[in-house]
Amino acid sequence: MQIELKNLLPIPLKEQFLQRHSDVWGKDLKLSTGDYIKCKAPSGSGKSTLVHILYKLRKDYEGDVFWDHENVKNIDAQKLAGFRQQTFSIVFQDLRLFPHLSAFENIQLNRVLQKPFYEESNIYEMADRLGVRSILSQAAGICSYGEQQRIAIIRALIQPFSWLIMDEPFSHLDQQNISKASSLIREECIKRSAGFILTDLEDDQHFNYSKKLDL
Amino acid sequence: MLNDLLKKLIKTGTGRFRFIMATAGMSVAMLLILLSMQLQSNYQELLYGKTNQDSIANFLLINKVVTNETIGATSLSEDEISDLKKQPFVEAIGVLTPSRFKISAQSVSNQIPFYTDLFFESVPDAFLDIQTKDWNWNEQSNFIPMIIPNSFLDMYNFGFATSRSLPQLSQDLVKNLPIQINIRSADGRVDYYGKVVGFSDRISSILVPQSFMDWANAKYGEGSTGLPSRVVIKTNDPGNPRLTDYLQAHGLTTDKDKTRFSKYREVISVVVNISWITGAILFLFALLVFTLFIQLTIASCKDEIHLLLTLGASPKQLRQFLMRHFFPVNFIIIALALILLSLIQYFAANAISVQHIYISHFISIYTILAALLLLIILWFVNSQQINQHLRSGMG
Repeated sequence: MQIELKNLLPIPLKEQFLQRHSDVWGKDLKLSTGDYIKCKAPSGSGKSTLVHILYKLRKDYEGDVFWDHENVKNIDAQKLAGFRQQTFSIVFQDLRLFPHLSAFENIQLNRVLQKPFYEESNIYEMADRLGVRSILSQAAGICSYGEQQRIAIIRALIQPFSWLIMDEPFSHLDQQNISKASSLIREECIKRSAGFILTDLEDDQHFNYSKKLDL
Repeated sequence: MLNDLLKKLIKTGTGRFRFIMATAGMSVAMLLILLSMQLQSNYQELLYGKTNQDSIANFLLINKVVTNETIGATSLSEDEISDLKKQPFVEAIGVLTPSRFKISAQSVSNQIPFYTDLFFESVPDAFLDIQTKDWNWNEQSNFIPMIIPNSFLDMYNFGFATSRSLPQLSQDLVKNLPIQINIRSADGRVDYYGKVVGFSDRISSILVPQSFMDWANAKYGEGSTGLPSRVVIKTNDPGNPRLTDYLQAHGLTTDKDKTRFSKYREVISVVVNISWITGAILFLFALLVFTLFIQLTIASCKDEIHLLLTLGASPKQLRQFLMRHFFPVNFIIIALALILLSLIQYFAANAISVQHIYISHFISIYTILAALLLLIILWFVNSQQINQHLRSGMG
């Protein structure tokens, strides 16, 4: 799926963005399926805002976003759910797990929201690889932030997608865990011929990015 | 599996007390509404059912009330009769034709001597409660068939005969008694023979066949064809309060005994209506509490619903889950109410059949239809509520 941005400007940050250079804000931009895209920006420069706009969580922007030439403003709730089940998978910066469900249940929920892409056993495999197998039965709310981050990554990888959107997904992981997670993410993207959009504060070498954008 | 997870997220335990109250209220409301429906249907069955029909009560003799004001003016005009005919409770109307000539009757035997002045009336055959092959007359007939009221014979047997030491007469004996009928006209006296062929409980008059009456009135009648003063109506429902109201409003009267049920019916109607209205009000309140309960449940897990939608749960999935959660209790309530009503109906039917009142052992189709209608209303309100609150939860 192609994502197209046309002269996109978030209304609350409009004044600020008009005064400085950006590869994204106020520009026309095409993101093609399979692209590995990195958005780099310091805190408070709209990384999460961009992620939320791309995922159709906010509407307070000027300009347009198109998913395969369809303006997202025209997509209704039912159809949006279909996109989120089949096309877009997301790792939020604030993770957004259900605190009272176990880590396993959080992942399971995203697996069974649609016709499952993976078996239940894949949850254990991924948990093994990211070193969170032992905490799967714990309530997500009492897991450490680093554990929660890995659970959120597995949750995003358990469903079908052609775009994976990740908002500072490694912020609480050490180098070793980052490399484990990024290799898992790479494999899963290749398996689906999917692309991703990753936001972060700094430059990094976790992936071979096809496009690097400064917000 | 999704349902199990949703069940954990959308905690339906909130407001359990409210839920129990709503369920209890709904149960009582359902029972009242369906009960009143069933009562109404049983009542209709009692009124119009074949097994309960009283044939005498279906024919009413109607005439004007004779008061000081109406003396001499009790005839019914054509307008009055056609208006009566138009009333929904009147199935058929028959005019009683009076004889317009002088008649006397006397015995031909010396054993039972009598002489009396008489009058005849006739009514279309369809209104008679006597079926006999002797009930016809033409100019070649040897005798004039007559039908007299049963009460005449009773008055004679139990009043007149005993006080005068006269022999009592059986119906068969009277039927075999030849009677000489004298018609006095302007041309003098003509003699006929008459014979009693039946005794009527329905019309208190001495009846002759319509064919004889028409012929005799034409031949011997004096004066113009007068207006009738009595009519007989066939009604499907003599206890109909509208019938009694109509008669009263038009200064008409009939056998009070036959219409007295209208009073009881009004009372029953009030009882049934109260049950209806109470049920309906209770239903509305229960619906309101239920609605609040749905609202509360959705509001109490607003965050979870919002996150579910964010992660890609479709509104349809959530709607289905919530419907599956909220709706079955309504279904169960209605099913239980119907089962309970069926039991009540069965035992009630048995209990009152001892008194020869017959109602069906099964609940009526209308009660079941009402239950279905209520179910549809509940389904509609529930899904409306869920839709509405889900939408506000999406915001």
